[in-house]
Amino acid sequence: MGDAIQWESDLDKALSRAKTEKKPVLMDFFNPG
Amino acid sequence: MGAVTFPDAKVIAFISQNVIPIRVPFDHKPLAEQFQVKWTPALVTLDMEGKEHHRTVGFLSPEELIPSLLLGKAKIDFDHEDFAKALVTLEDLLKAFPKSAAAPEAIFLRGVCGYKSTNNPKLLKEAYEKLAKDYPESEWTKRAYPYRLI
Repeated sequence: MGDAIQWESDLDKALSRAKTEKKPVLMDFFNPG
Repeated sequence: MGAVTFPDAKVIAFISQNVIPIRVPFDHKPLAEQFQVKWTPALVTLDMEGKEHHRTVGFLSPEELIPSLLLGKAKIDFDHEDFAKALVTLEDLLKAFPKSAAAPEAIFLRGVCGYKSTNNPKLLKEAYEKLAKDYPESEWTKRAYPYRLI
């Protein structure tokens, strides 16, 4: 575990990881301000 | 969320171990339109195929984010009719976060999962009784109200 969340930025890559790691995807839509 | 919740050590550990996190701006094309995002923060839980199963809009503290993510995970399994797996996650949620905002919906969903997996309607009534006792003002208590008659 690192000291910060390791965010993906590409949904296709996140879904590919989700299938490999058998985990759900958490997508955060944020306002960068 | 970025200043308070996501830097929290328990949140980092939970997300690292349980979900694949992706972060995109609220005006991201095409995702913001595809998911019809109108306000932030919007947290959307997707299954491995990219289908949405759970969403929250607005700030969540670390103490509320983790149970919300557990609820999202359980809703994926419920929607996929893997009730046994959903029940394990719901029990984990209710054991660790009984006072969270996600708890009443988790109790409701636990009752439904129990009924769907056993055909025992008493589990629905037990869900209502638990909700009425511990969360009398919850919307989920109101939604479970008919089960009192079982």
